[in-house]
Amino acid sequence: MNALEKHRYRNAAAILAGILFTSFVVLQANSPQIGNPPVTSEFHGPEEVTRILKRSCYDCHSNETNLRWYDKVAPFSYKVAADVEEARKRFNFSEWDSIPKADQEGKLWYIVNMIDAGRMPLPEYTATHPSARVTPEELAILKNYVTGISQHYAAGDTARIAEKARAASVPKSINGIAYFDDYKNWKVISTTGRPDNGTSRIIYGNDIAVKALEENKILPWPDGAVVVKVVWNSQAPDAWGNVKPGNFNNIQIMVRDAKKFAGTEGWGFARFNGLDLKPYGKTVSFATSCINCHQLAKGTGFVFDIPTRPQH
Amino acid sequence: MKSLITFILAILALTACHDPRELTPAPETIFTENGLHVITSFHNNLTRTISVLYGNDDALANAGKERDAHTPGEVLKLITWDLKQNPLWFGSNINGRVQSVETVTVSAGPSGPVIGYAKDGNSQKASGNAVSGNAERISFIFAQRASVFP
Ligand code: HEC
Ligand code: HEC
Repeated sequence: MNALEKHRYRNAAAILAGILFTSFVVLQANSPQIGNPPVTSEFHGPEEVTRILKRSCYDCHSNETNLRWYDKVAPFSYKVAADVEEARKRFNFSEWDSIPKADQEGKLWYIVNMIDAGRMPLPEYTATHPSARVTPEELAILKNYVTGISQHYAAGDTARIAEKARAASVPKSINGIAYFDDYKNWKVISTTGRPDNGTSRIIYGNDIAVKALEENKILPWPDGAVVVKVVWNSQAPDAWGNVKPGNFNNIQIMVRDAKKFAGTEGWGFARFNGLDLKPYGKTVSFATSCINCHQLAKGTGFVFDIPTRPQH
Repeated sequence: MKSLITFILAILALTACHDPRELTPAPETIFTENGLHVITSFHNNLTRTISVLYGNDDALANAGKERDAHTPGEVLKLITWDLKQNPLWFGSNINGRVQSVETVTVSAGPSGPVIGYAKDGNSQKASGNAVSGNAERISFIFAQRASVFP
């Protein structure tokens, strides 16, 4: 390198540093501010439970966000602000009672399972806030807590349950997926009992879905695969501990079409509630909340209820 | 250096093996129903089992009713699996390995219907007073009411 080149190089470096510094300053000046709106209806749980959630989740999922100085330095502050905004939108411990009681319980199970899967707190956050990590002992406390608050059983014997009005015409979900009866001739791929929300389920797969399982070709599932889940409220256990299905609750459908449903990982979702099969979801975006949670089953192609064994 | 890489790979392999969310399909647990219909299902947290009761058209037609008499031609199959915690969702239990397949058949005999009972292939016919253990299972299976479907 001769003297002239050296000089040019130094100038360019200085200009570059100047640009970077100025943008850094501008970024700081425009750095998003995260306000803390009032706490209106705070989550109340046992002290040991609340303590864990406060330490690990409240920075994002509450109006008591307590950011460290390095969270406020751009460009990190942009990511942090976006995370807090999105997290509060999903659920907010400071406005807990704004969601119906039954949904609160469902959220608590969702919360436990997100921690269980290592998805929450966000890993990029625990990297810089190691004290926010939930330890296995703390997770056990949370699991105990949700199990304790959820003991549901529906009254009644299936045979005596009055038949309610049935749908007059074929119900259709807002995204075009219509209810159909044919699943009753399909294979049962699994059956589940959920103490978490007091339901019993049977999961059916069409021929394409069953073949995909048999050939272990579920990453991704082939187009045309359909999975149907029928859900009943569980009755109280009988004298021998048998928990039998009571009232019909709902039916949920997943239809594989990688192109058509590209926005939700290639799965089309539909849900029909009650014997009159009322379609669930007012706008097509309802399916976003379905796939968000089904991300926890990413390793099995976003389907939870398939028969499995450990990989090794 | 080489040993370090081997060490890291070993750790990775170990953690991969122990990740409970790394799963392979187990299609051998799926029951081939051969024209039978689902009548009902139930699970039991004491015995850690989960079951689905299947039946042919005749059995399904009768399972909705409260009655003791059975008509010749009915075939019922009760499949029982292990109940295990769903590896992908804490709070849900799912079927595991198949434990047993019980079959109850009703056929016409000279003096009324003959009830047959078989468990995993060991069939035993009994008219009137069945072998006591079987009689208990037969009446348990007959007592199941059909689930309400839309
Ligand atoms: C750094 C911010 C941050 C922290 C801390 C955090 N979350 Fe989240 N959380 C998010 C964001 C962003 C989303 C939405 C995007 C996603 O799911 O990754 C989310 C989504 C969720 C969802 C899904 C909710 C829904 O309705 O879709 C659950 C459940 C959840 N978080 C639980 C927790 C729990 C429990 C903790 C504490 C142990 C926690 N989060 C800590 C940012 C955070
Ligand atoms: C909070 C988490 C969560 C949300 C939200 C959710 N699901 Fe699921 N879903 C599950 C879990 C867990 C299972 C399996 C457990 C069970 O049902 O036994 C499941 C199972 C299913 C199945 C059976 C196939 C499978 O993946 O196991 C279908 C079909 C289904 N859900 C449809 C839907 C639809 C449609 C929506 C939106 C309206 C939805 N889900 C929203 C958690 C969720």
